[in-house]
Amino acid sequence: MLDALQELTQAVPDSAYAEARWVRTRREAIRVRAGRLDGIEDEESEGVGVRVLHGGGFGFAATRDLSRAGLAAALARARAIAAEGREPAALAPLPESARGHWAGPCERDPFAAGIEQKIELLVAAEGAMRGDARIVSTEASCLALAEDWAFASSEGAAATQSFVQCGGGLQAIAVQDGELQVRSYPSAHGGSVAAAGLEHLDGLALVEQAPRVAEEVVALLTAPPCPSGRSTLVLGSEQLALQIHESIGHALELDRVQLGEAAYAGTSWVNPADIGSLRYGSAHLNITADATLSGALGSFGWDDEGVAATRTPLIVGGELRAALSDRVSAARAGLARSAGCARADGFARQPIVRMTNVSIEPGEAGGVAELIAGVDEGVFMESNRSWSIDDRRLHFQFGTEVAYEIRGGELGRLLRNPSYAGVTPELWGSLEAVAGPGEWRLWGVLNCGKGQPGQVAHVSHGAAPARFRDVQIGVAR
Amino acid sequence: MSDPADLALAERCLAALGGAAEAQVTIVRERSLTCRFARSTPTQATAVDDLSVEVLVVIDGHTTAASTNATDPDGLAAVAERALRAARSSAALAGEPGAYPGLPAPAPAPALPDGWDQATAALDPAGAHRALAEAFGAAERAGAEAFGIWTAGAVSTTVASSTGTAAQDAVTDAHMRVICRREDGRSGFAAHTAVAAAALDGSAIAERAGARLTDTEPSGLPPGEYPVVLGAEAVGDLLAFLGVLAFNGLAHAEGRGALVDRLGTRVAAPCVQLGDAPRRTGGLPRTIDAEGVPKSELALIRDGVAQAVVHDTRTAARAGGDARSTGHALTGGGNPEGAVPTNLHLAGGEAADEQALAAPIERGLYVTRLWYVNPVQPQRTLLTGMTRDGTFLIEDGRIGRPLHDVRFTDEVLRILDATEALTAVPTLVTEADLYGRRFAYGSVCPSLRAQGFRVTGGAES
Repeated sequence: MLDALQELTQAVPDSAYAEARWVRTRREAIRVRAGRLDGIEDEESEGVGVRVLHGGGFGFAATRDLSRAGLAAALARARAIAAEGREPAALAPLPESARGHWAGPCERDPFAAGIEQKIELLVAAEGAMRGDARIVSTEASCLALAEDWAFASSEGAAATQSFVQCGGGLQAIAVQDGELQVRSYPSAHGGSVAAAGLEHLDGLALVEQAPRVAEEVVALLTAPPCPSGRSTLVLGSEQLALQIHESIGHALELDRVQLGEAAYAGTSWVNPADIGSLRYGSAHLNITADATLSGALGSFGWDDEGVAATRTPLIVGGELRAALSDRVSAARAGLARSAGCARADGFARQPIVRMTNVSIEPGEAGGVAELIAGVDEGVFMESNRSWSIDDRRLHFQFGTEVAYEIRGGELGRLLRNPSYAGVTPELWGSLEAVAGPGEWRLWGVLNCGKGQPGQVAHVSHGAAPARFRDVQIGVAR
Repeated sequence: MSDPADLALAERCLAALGGAAEAQVTIVRERSLTCRFARSTPTQATAVDDLSVEVLVVIDGHTTAASTNATDPDGLAAVAERALRAARSSAALAGEPGAYPGLPAPAPAPALPDGWDQATAALDPAGAHRALAEAFGAAERAGAEAFGIWTAGAVSTTVASSTGTAAQDAVTDAHMRVICRREDGRSGFAAHTAVAAAALDGSAIAERAGARLTDTEPSGLPPGEYPVVLGAEAVGDLLAFLGVLAFNGLAHAEGRGALVDRLGTRVAAPCVQLGDAPRRTGGLPRTIDAEGVPKSELALIRDGVAQAVVHDTRTAARAGGDARSTGHALTGGGNPEGAVPTNLHLAGGEAADEQALAAPIERGLYVTRLWYVNPVQPQRTLLTGMTRDGTFLIEDGRIGRPLHDVRFTDEVLRILDATEALTAVPTLVTEADLYGRRFAYGSVCPSLRAQGFRVTGGAES
């Protein structure tokens, strides 16, 4: 396929630039609900997306017709729909064209293993959550994804790469007297998925964790409600990962900063001139975008513009140093090069600025016990349940599945319906401590939406539990 | 609009299974064009030409679905084999029958006169570029820049099954939205959605968006409960969530839906008439659901009284009793997340326009649209989200000064219960996010006035 892409992009008439990206994807999802195997989805697709910079504007056409005539037709269509704007569009320089092959980690191919082993695992885990009549919905699920990729451009790129992702999770819903509670494991919104093979699913210990999930969802039904007011807040690493995603990752996408996403995903409270000087948070805040992290969903050899994976400090000691960019936004900003954050959802979508793996660096606070030890009164919250943030990524409100009161430096009662709200720089400015490397781990996010037509990205965030002072809690009643 | 070639393709795929099991083949063919713009300049143009072939196999109540976009004989044989092998394995491993009751029997779907527009299906980029240029001009006249999207699609769906279903649905859709934004960050929004792209008037849409811009400094609004006029876009957002939280037949059957024990009781003001109207002119019509079941009008709330939830074949079986599919399958074999209405229609009232809705309000707010709405307590239909691109103070019966965006945390059913009046003419609204295979849907709804809208925070900056 790579030969055909090279032939196509090298023969583009009077176009300043052309790139062609072939993607073959296979996705398998298995779900067990209420004691029954609830359907298996096994999807395959294959096609090519061609993007051109033609007449001062970009055009992108996707086709499943992989013949030379089909590819030529897609190229012609991309040229036909490109429209020039007030200023010609451009791409930031590329230091080195993508060449060679890259493969993500995978010890055990989740597709080669067949479905039997996965079904047995899910049936056992889901069954271990049932029994209490108040639990009205139980679900165990797993996901496997494999992607092969080839890329060529008129600048001489010719590269291939392959990815595997695998994981799964549990969810139980309980209802009593008009109260509805949810508990998930290892994380909400689809469980834990990593850039790995079947070994990651096996390592989640779903069967062993299922009884605890059931106990907690029932206990939440009668737990006292999370109090309202201002309080010290300790966030578990899963919820902190989402807080990073929504209030830092999206806010630092350069296309949003440049107003390019104003019509849909929104803009950013960060202005272009802020990069290099803005105080984003306290001195404990160190954020890095790293597309080279092993096991992370946002890692690759090259991004979807053929830019090599890189590690970029975004916030250092609370000060904003850089943004997430692709070649288009980097050129608009006059940057010397892209930060390598162009990603596309399959062959039928064009690359746009996306997060790679945006993580908080571990701190020096030890573990959760050390974070809590210094708190007379506060709340510990974990596992995201609801999320909302304004279109500038400034004012947010989050709810979590579970919380515990903190009293005298120790965890106390379970609390239901916890929530907190704040303003991005105020929250990050109140960051007092981050737990150390021993509690830092990667959390996958599978439902990151952006772009028109819509694109879903898989990203990971490294996070450790963290403590914030004087946060508004108990806001959603 | 029927496509004999796709029906033949589906039949070939069924034949590849050799009659080994009950099966459904679904072919969805998409051609679409999307042109995005920002700062009054084109930014991205995307043309998609693709299809998917999905084979659903049912063995002993267990369903497995395999899909591909390869239509050569080898590709079809491979996808059929994958589906069959997985279904056999799952049936053998489960040890007991699955929850799926079997594919629905074939039923004729009356033809739809106005879901397809041939000119739109041509996906001519010149029309898109012209609409963008018109929008840029109108935005400039408003002292603003235009941001937004123009998109059109032609999607055909073919469903054939071993139980005799052979149904097709072909629709076009067109959508343009414009945000007019000034240097100071203030913005106004307008959009139009239709079956035909010719209905997208870039100049008129941008003029409506620009008309929401004022020179007055926005002020803040403290948290509290206020009378509100919700524009049709905002109403559409709330109704979309109500579809998932209240009318989802699976959530209802599992005892976690918002209408559990409330069907047949009053859940909204008597002026609220809500239904699913897939065949009505003015929406985005559809003739069949993803199981090939014909779509028809269904009353959901009549005179404020909850009437029904919606089902596909799977959720109807889960509900038991006399529950039947209402034609709301989102996927072959039924969506694991349940069935939801995709053609909601809220009947209009008697108010001439939004100013008439605002007339009785001494102090309240007007909301153009909502943003980043998510459930907080699903069973209560409690949502939180922000307002965006046009929030105004209503004072002494007039929509006047701009407000900073506010956060709301409120229940959809409470808002509908506190609804006092609606505008006479509903309009088609859609988020048009178009993830995955293009499936255009939207709600037809008027603007409304309600009491006690709960503002829980602000975004003044």
